[in-house]
Amino acid sequence: MSTVTEPSSPQPVRTAALPFRSAVRTIFVLEMKQRLRGKGWYWMLGIWFVVIGFIFVLGTGVIGTMDNQGGILFDLIVGFVLLFGLLVAPGLSANAVNGDRAGGTLAILQVTLITPGQLLAGKWLASWVGSLAFLVLSCPFIFWALALGGVNLQEALVSLVMLAVELGVACAIGVGVSSLATRPLFSIVSTYMLVALLAVGTVIVFGLSTLLVMEERTVRSSYYTYPESSIDSLGVPAPDAEMECVAQTYTTDLPDTQYITWILAANPFVVVADAVPYTLPEPGSTGGQPMGYSTGPFYTPGVMETISQGVRSAQAGPDLEVTCEESMGGVQPLPQGVPIWPLGLGIQLLLAGGLLLIGRRRLTMPARRLTQGTRIA
Amino acid sequence: MTNDYGGIVVEGVARSFGTVQAIRDIDFEAPPGEVTALIGPNGSGKTTLMLILASLLAPDLGTVRVAGFDPVSHPAEVRSRVGWMPDTLGVWDSLTSLEVLKTLGALYGMSAADSARRAEELLVSVNLTEFGRQPARVLSRGQQQRLSLARALIHDPAVLLLDEPASGLDPGSRVELRSLLRSLAADGKTIVVSSHVLSELDEIADRAVFVSRGQSVKSQTLDEAGSQTRRYYVQAEPMSALAEALSSYGVRFETRGDSRREEFLVQLGSTAEASWLLRTLVMSDVVVTAFAPAGGALEETYMSLDTDRR
Repeated sequence: MSTVTEPSSPQPVRTAALPFRSAVRTIFVLEMKQRLRGKGWYWMLGIWFVVIGFIFVLGTGVIGTMDNQGGILFDLIVGFVLLFGLLVAPGLSANAVNGDRAGGTLAILQVTLITPGQLLAGKWLASWVGSLAFLVLSCPFIFWALALGGVNLQEALVSLVMLAVELGVACAIGVGVSSLATRPLFSIVSTYMLVALLAVGTVIVFGLSTLLVMEERTVRSSYYTYPESSIDSLGVPAPDAEMECVAQTYTTDLPDTQYITWILAANPFVVVADAVPYTLPEPGSTGGQPMGYSTGPFYTPGVMETISQGVRSAQAGPDLEVTCEESMGGVQPLPQGVPIWPLGLGIQLLLAGGLLLIGRRRLTMPARRLTQGTRIA
Repeated sequence: MTNDYGGIVVEGVARSFGTVQAIRDIDFEAPPGEVTALIGPNGSGKTTLMLILASLLAPDLGTVRVAGFDPVSHPAEVRSRVGWMPDTLGVWDSLTSLEVLKTLGALYGMSAADSARRAEELLVSVNLTEFGRQPARVLSRGQQQRLSLARALIHDPAVLLLDEPASGLDPGSRVELRSLLRSLAADGKTIVVSSHVLSELDEIADRAVFVSRGQSVKSQTLDEAGSQTRRYYVQAEPMSALAEALSSYGVRFETRGDSRREEFLVQLGSTAEASWLLRTLVMSDVVVTAFAPAGGALEETYMSLDTDRR
């Protein structure tokens, strides 16, 4: 400390704002260095790999004999990566800002020329990249499932991109909440709550809302049966009898789900499933034969494709006219009507963006108002 | 908005947090080229004032100019000119000292080459060269304190705000801190130091502002503080002879009770008076064994202000 050193090249300190990209990069590098040098992240990655591997092996064993094995496995992995990703992303992001505050490093950043927006962008990018590592780590299983066939490239690509987008949304929610909440623990729990609200809450609200859109409807349902004349006293049809299509009409209460399907839109699983262009079998190529049992391939959707189909059938509303073909053919794939995922992604982005905007205001210094119990430094 | 006068000018600043009035009314001035001490008991608003100066808090009332700029309306201008060393140690555990400094340099808009060079130089000035490539968590508290100081200096700020810089430093580091601050002041920097170690400040500071319960109660230069009425303690062998001599010259004294050895405290108006008394005592054959100011100049002022300490 005995000598004072002047800056080697004396120049007036610029007060121009920092270039956005270099400022974000500095924060990103700062965050990533800490993450890469800590142990926690590697532990999480290790546990993740083991769990996904376990589920993959289990899945292979259970559905090994079914049709569409590759497709179902791929779908299963996508679903689990999304589920676990939604559990991991808040943990990686929701203490990004208030953790720094607790550690006393936030104020040190705030007295530099960095703007709150740049700070949040850097933190978000770092947590997103951190959670994308989990996606990358699942790739061996994803490729394995793809190698089994049955999934086209476009479907796989869109699935992965949407997974990455959903992880980004979860991280943005986490970073936003962490800039609002005082304590890291509180913000992590709040972020989990928000993510659960999207993933589970939407389904519950949808389920409860069906009661509100119940309408009494007349349904005409048709099915194949043997004519009564061909059935003997024991209830056994005559051997040469032919089945005929019989229609039955009854009234029942059915929910007009087409009016409330939008509630499901913001669900991360729905967003991913609805965005993926699944290859549907040609109509009539599966099941549907009036006589006996189909020998062709059954339509067997995986987890995510089932969600996609569920949303489509909810969008379509109640089926008031069940034809004989429908009643025989088992599950029939529904083609996509109006895609719902842009709405869902929009809602999610609004939520995350709103949180980040409020957070940015909260981080703007000099502060006029402080949250109760906050200490700047 | 700007004025040519660098330094810090604070007038009538108030700031409250909810119902707690942290600062009621503070006037404060820190001219460039001098070290200004900010002195006050715990909870008197020192750190709050530092946060306002560092552009982290907006005052409710009053005007603030730091290096000629208002921190509320021109935060970026203030931040590029202010180095702030907080009283809490914020440490990025896994980053090395060099990385911390280079990161901060980048966030002040310095080029990578500039901040790397500056970081190396600063590590030399704060004696942390051998720790430059070690993660910050291996640093001791005093070393982290020095890293924190280097961090505040990375962009060569014109104004330096140091909140309790000497806490946790060993005696050697304190001496080095003192000479570093003196040479920075000699370069024309404005330096504000808050500290409880008043004897430290005696040697570092050029002037002092005393705050109590959120108000600035006194502002004086060290020269003024030195020439004010001070108490001296005197010891002699035997003490009875001293008591006799003091009484005969009409000097009022009291016995100091808080020391291990018996000693007398006398109140003297100036250094001239002190030297007169010492000479007189020696001439009248009192065996004086100790004759010294009872406390530092700032400590005298601090105690005389009779601020209620909480």
